[in-house]
Amino acid sequence: MAEGRLHRILSAVVKIKPGEARLTLLLFAYFFLITAPFNIIKSLRDASYLEDLGPNFLPYAYASALVVGLAVSLHARLQAKLSRRALLKSTLVFFVLLDLAFWGLFSVSEWRWWTLLYWMWANVFVVVLTTQFWILVNDIFNPREAKRLIGFFGSGGILGGVAGGVLTGFAARGMNSHDLLLFSAVFLLGALGVVTALFAGRGPSLGAPGAPGAAPRPEGPPPSTGRSKVGFWDCARSVRKSRYLTLIAAVVMVTGIVSTFIDWQSKSIIFAANQNHPANLTSFFGFFNSGLLAFAFLFQLVLTSRFIERFGIRLGLMIYPAVLLAMSLGIAVRPELLWLAIGIKGSDKALSYSLNQSARELLYIPVVPELKYRAKIFIDMFLNRFSKAIGGLVLIVLILLTSGGFGTVAKPGVVAAASAISAGLIVAWMILNTLLDRAYVREVRLQLAKKWERPDTLVSERMDVDTAKLIVDALESRTQSPTLFALHLYDLARRRKLTPEIKSLLAPPPADASPFRSSPLLESGEMPWMSDADDPALSAGMDAEIREILALDSYQQLMGEYAGRLLDSPARSAGASETARMELAKAIGLMDRGSPLAGRLGDLLDDPSPAVFQFAAESAGRLRDRGFVAQLVRRLAEPLSRGDARAALEKYGESIVGTLADFLADREGGAGVRGPVASLLAGIGTSEAAEALLEELARGPSGADEDIVDALDRIRSRNPDVVFPADAVRTRLASVLAAGGRVSGAADLLPAFRLLGLIYDHEDIFRAYQNLVKGTKDSIGYAIELLDHTLDPETKGRLFPRLDDFAGGGAAPARA
Amino acid sequence: MVIEKREKDNVVIFDIDGEIRRSDITDVTLHQLVKDELEHGKKHILLNFERVDFIDSFGVGEILASYISTNNLGGKLKLARISKKLFLIFQVTMLTKVLDIFDEEDLALRSFLKD
Repeated sequence: MAEGRLHRILSAVVKIKPGEARLTLLLFAYFFLITAPFNIIKSLRDASYLEDLGPNFLPYAYASALVVGLAVSLHARLQAKLSRRALLKSTLVFFVLLDLAFWGLFSVSEWRWWTLLYWMWANVFVVVLTTQFWILVNDIFNPREAKRLIGFFGSGGILGGVAGGVLTGFAARGMNSHDLLLFSAVFLLGALGVVTALFAGRGPSLGAPGAPGAAPRPEGPPPSTGRSKVGFWDCARSVRKSRYLTLIAAVVMVTGIVSTFIDWQSKSIIFAANQNHPANLTSFFGFFNSGLLAFAFLFQLVLTSRFIERFGIRLGLMIYPAVLLAMSLGIAVRPELLWLAIGIKGSDKALSYSLNQSARELLYIPVVPELKYRAKIFIDMFLNRFSKAIGGLVLIVLILLTSGGFGTVAKPGVVAAASAISAGLIVAWMILNTLLDRAYVREVRLQLAKKWERPDTLVSERMDVDTAKLIVDALESRTQSPTLFALHLYDLARRRKLTPEIKSLLAPPPADASPFRSSPLLESGEMPWMSDADDPALSAGMDAEIREILALDSYQQLMGEYAGRLLDSPARSAGASETARMELAKAIGLMDRGSPLAGRLGDLLDDPSPAVFQFAAESAGRLRDRGFVAQLVRRLAEPLSRGDARAALEKYGESIVGTLADFLADREGGAGVRGPVASLLAGIGTSEAAEALLEELARGPSGADEDIVDALDRIRSRNPDVVFPADAVRTRLASVLAAGGRVSGAADLLPAFRLLGLIYDHEDIFRAYQNLVKGTKDSIGYAIELLDHTLDPETKGRLFPRLDDFAGGGAAPARA
Repeated sequence: MVIEKREKDNVVIFDIDGEIRRSDITDVTLHQLVKDELEHGKKHILLNFERVDFIDSFGVGEILASYISTNNLGGKLKLARISKKLFLIFQVTMLTKVLDIFDEEDLALRSFLKD
């Protein structure tokens, strides 16, 4: 069938993207064809065992899982050595042959303990084949894809189980039960055909990190280096080393024990009821198992994906134990009720195969592939079985202690005691689930690399911008003015920045014919200009002397006259005069705020020359006279002066928040300066500055909104402890997300993410944003997963549809 | 500090010897000496710093006060042979933009003739 047509048909039942249809259908069929025979094998197993040995011997069957665990560990070795294709095909052939072997054995021998061997084989069968299936799904799909398709695949498995059970129910009435094994062999041969089709033209390993099946892996063992050396104990150690995987293992362990208890309780009650009303047990279990799975199927098809998408893994993990807890308590009180036995077994299977299985698979999403393989081998293939063995051993002890021996029928009191123990274990399981959910979010976060820091944060954290500017100015002034050069050197020395390296940089080239005159500050002579040869600081005596001179009345008078001549001169715009004004502007910055000459800075701040303004602004920043603030703010509107004005205003710090807030609020008069003012408030970064920004944002849309949101984000990124009023931010967020046309990429949603960062964990929000913008296919999936766990449902309801604008559907970004 | 006076080409030259510092104030300061000359009608004054080892802010204040007094009376006060350190201080304080400073005494004397 053509991919396009198949896509249209499947789209009616599952959210698939172009190119996924064939692969999705084949995987659905694969799961169907391995679960159908299992339900035949299982129904026969349960009925044969109960009829031949009775329910009190069931714990031995459960305990036999220890032996099964060894078989599974052998499989793990094979998995590490074989390519995925070879492993899957050889396993299927192996099970077909053993299926036929048991058919022959049951036909020729009536020894009742064969049923125990058969039980063990059936367990190996289900654990190996289902684990192989899920590993294959994990190979092929990324987290978001898996989350989207997992319900559909699960449905294939449940449907297969239903079909196998119904077939068993009907066929067992009219034929020898053991002949049903021939049907299971046929299903397995069908699965072999599907596996062949899955790998057709794709090489031995489907697990490609790109599009589904798009990039076949090279020949040889499965992907990842070093996997050929992975053995069972390596897998166990890998799980033990990871707290997260240990938690998953603990949950699986408890789940397995509880499930064993439930199986024994229900079978004991069913067998007791069958004693009173004899019937064909194989047929009963066929219909019973298919009924359970039909319920699970409907649940899986209709509710699982929607439930997990809406409520997340947290509730997905909790529903299952909560239902079992209620039922266990019921059996503890009334252990003879058949409907309760059917109900708890039905709930166990339905929720285990649907919601719990899906949620548990999602738990592996944030685990790196190599570790995931190891963990799944240990947890799913070994621990899952081992836990049932432990459950069996506990039951043996319980039966021995309470019954004193193994009769044919389990006593109701023993069943009630088992239910009470089971209830206690379920409570522990729910506690572990809570811990696991928290750990899951942590793991998803770990998968999201931070792609970049805020540029302004980087600059402020890693660069001494003032010193860099000063060095550049000093270099430039070498050919401009010896006085300016000396002023810069003095400035550098005062800041303890005149290191030997910078001195060397600023020294003139030997053949320099410019008017530059080397400064004593660059010389290493006998005079103590500097503290010592390697100390970048000016000597304290020298510095004090210069300051005292600057404060002299005579100096102020003399230089005041000089400034008057310079600034009041009609030829002010002449080139030479401009340099002189630059020198004066620079020198004033060295004086006290109250000195008479500092008053002339106002003239220099209005100077039309950006170069003069640069030094005037620097000096204003040093003197921090509030009388200059308005002049500086006005210069923010001029692109050439903006940087210097901003740097100067930043030095005023929080003392000018009120003035800046006034300019920010002036929507008419503040044109051209409101954006830079918002940025300045961010630079100040106090809670008062944040309040001023939020207040302005709350007034409604304006041209400076983007700057204001950016400023708030900057404050938040520097100080995560600043608390923003969530209601105000949410209101703004709602209007930001509601506004605008189609979103072409995550970058279009930057203002929305900045707002989100104000009320949620800033680090999480921006890790998610950065990975949406620049991440790989998988990290985009993790990003949405993190948002899914971080945001409240209302916010998700607003944001995710906008992500869908560029991400396809279900907030799953389109593959790049 | 020892200050010796001489005259050349109608210019009063003060040869300063030693250190000019606040802690070393003598009865007659440099500024007082300059003012005395100005009162006697001498308008061209040259301060020779060849033998000055050290000068502090007080000393600079004396120079600036002398300069202002001379200027106020329409005279000229110039400096010759100042140390590198003092030159640096004058540069940093921008006094090089106001004061007339010469490397050699002859150059300074010739500049008076040009005025």
